[in-house]
Amino acid sequence: MPRAKRRSSLIRSPQFSSLVILIVLLAVFAIADANFLSPLNISNMMAFLPELGIIALGMTLLLTAGEFDLSVGAVFGLAPVVVMLLVQNGGVDIGVALLAGLVLCIAIGAINGLIVTKIGISSFLVTLSMLLVVRGAALYITQGFPLKSWDQPGFFVTLLAGSFSIGTFRFYTSLWWFIGLSLLAVYVLRYAKLGNWISAIGSNRNAAVARGVPADAVKIWLFILTSVLAGLAGMISAFRISAASPVAGTGYELEVIAMVVVGGTALTGGRGTIFGTIVGALMLRSIRNGIVLIGVPGLAYNIFVGVIILAMLILHALLQKNAARS
Amino acid sequence: MEVLRLQNLQKSFGSVRALKSASFTLNEGEVVALLGDNGAGKSTLIKAISGVFPVDRGDIYVRGQKVSIRSTRDAMDLGIETIHQDTSLAPDLSIARNLFLGREPVNLKWLGVFAPLDLAQLRDAASALLKRVGISKKLDADALVSTLSGGERQSIAISRAMQFAAKVIILDEPTNNLGVEETHGVLRFVKEVRDAGHSVLLITHNIHHVFQVADRIIVMRRGEIVAEQTVADTDLLTVESIITGADMSALLKETRAK
Repeated sequence: MPRAKRRSSLIRSPQFSSLVILIVLLAVFAIADANFLSPLNISNMMAFLPELGIIALGMTLLLTAGEFDLSVGAVFGLAPVVVMLLVQNGGVDIGVALLAGLVLCIAIGAINGLIVTKIGISSFLVTLSMLLVVRGAALYITQGFPLKSWDQPGFFVTLLAGSFSIGTFRFYTSLWWFIGLSLLAVYVLRYAKLGNWISAIGSNRNAAVARGVPADAVKIWLFILTSVLAGLAGMISAFRISAASPVAGTGYELEVIAMVVVGGTALTGGRGTIFGTIVGALMLRSIRNGIVLIGVPGLAYNIFVGVIILAMLILHALLQKNAARS
Repeated sequence: MEVLRLQNLQKSFGSVRALKSASFTLNEGEVVALLGDNGAGKSTLIKAISGVFPVDRGDIYVRGQKVSIRSTRDAMDLGIETIHQDTSLAPDLSIARNLFLGREPVNLKWLGVFAPLDLAQLRDAASALLKRVGISKKLDADALVSTLSGGERQSIAISRAMQFAAKVIILDEPTNNLGVEETHGVLRFVKEVRDAGHSVLLITHNIHHVFQVADRIIVMRRGEIVAEQTVADTDLLTVESIITGADMSALLKETRAK
């Protein structure tokens, strides 16, 4: 492609418009409240960002393959509850407990994937049911109460929720997880053979299958990946606050999907962008943070989040229409 | 020379005998048209050859060797490529990525599905291919398939089959939903494919197209092959009457007499 053409298609791409909006939003918040760009506030945002961002990476790949997962918020809650129960009440070693949590997440993802691909029920219905099962399980095994706080430093705690300081900024190791996983996801989706398969499956599953692409296996693994990432994010969050709650992550599924689509990934599959998802995650995080700082009443702030998401989606749709016309 | 031979293929779905018995031979460098009304068993036959499902009974020979086709992958490996109107390309992928879908050139092969695509080779091979098949308008290998017309997509799909040196290319309704000019483009392309030595099995509803490109005609009705003729030995009306089971030419004579 000639350079000029490539540049214009980049500017018209959804992730680019998302990036522009993000910069505008950041500028508005920074001007409206000087504290927005303070080291403390940035450190705060960076502590929360990876937790939803990590799930959004998995969700991006899954959406690109044409499926989605509503059970991620519940898995985010259940995984740390199970791990901490094993450690606190069962006296199990933390490493073993984490392994059990991992196996649990793999199982949930595999069940989602198998039902969706082999029985052919839409992922919306399957994962909605799974949301109820998983959330219900978390509530039942804890009898609805948050667990006692658990705060024993160790290798795994440092690995998942350790913190370090750069100047006056305080960062958690979760930021490294997010950066590392993001790079990996960009590589897989854009440059690896698997990424070609994922996009093709979401774009035209029959075409991919006709070329010998194992579409069902790819989807099942993506469901497993998304579940595992949701569990990992849940562990990171629980270790950071040294406690696990059965209602943690309620509503996260929709927030994560919002991050992904705001970034420009198509809900219908075939077109996914990790860069867009990172922009989307930053955008939703800074909106939530910024509108509180500039004094929007807490109860009103979902109105703003909703309106901004809608505006983004309308913008993407208009851009796409324009691109199709030209 | 014989490329593909089917012997007494049978397939039932429950109590429905979709394919009662089908035997025919496809030779090198010929275009054979497979005709029949809806429900005649054409697509069942195609799906059996292209590995969508196994047959209940019967044998398939490729270049005289008896083969078993259990998956689309098996069929592709045997050099049988099937092109469906709407299911052959992924619109959100570039032409280059579509051309190599499922057979991507990669570096560091040991990484399996995580191996990086050899983007330079992908692009070069795609450009060379687009040039070689001489698709009329100059197409960019990086262009998304969603920006192409129906005829262009069809040509891309056919050239992909040619590129992998397919012995047999099955075209399932290749001219459906195409404009007049695009249809001619695709039919011309079919002739070029044949002249390059590939065998083509053409499934279509349009008998006029058949007479433009096919060497031989096979007609199916109710799961059976009811006629097999070379194009030179027959005409449109005869074929039409075989398809419907009614004697059209007699009918026509009658009306004319009146």
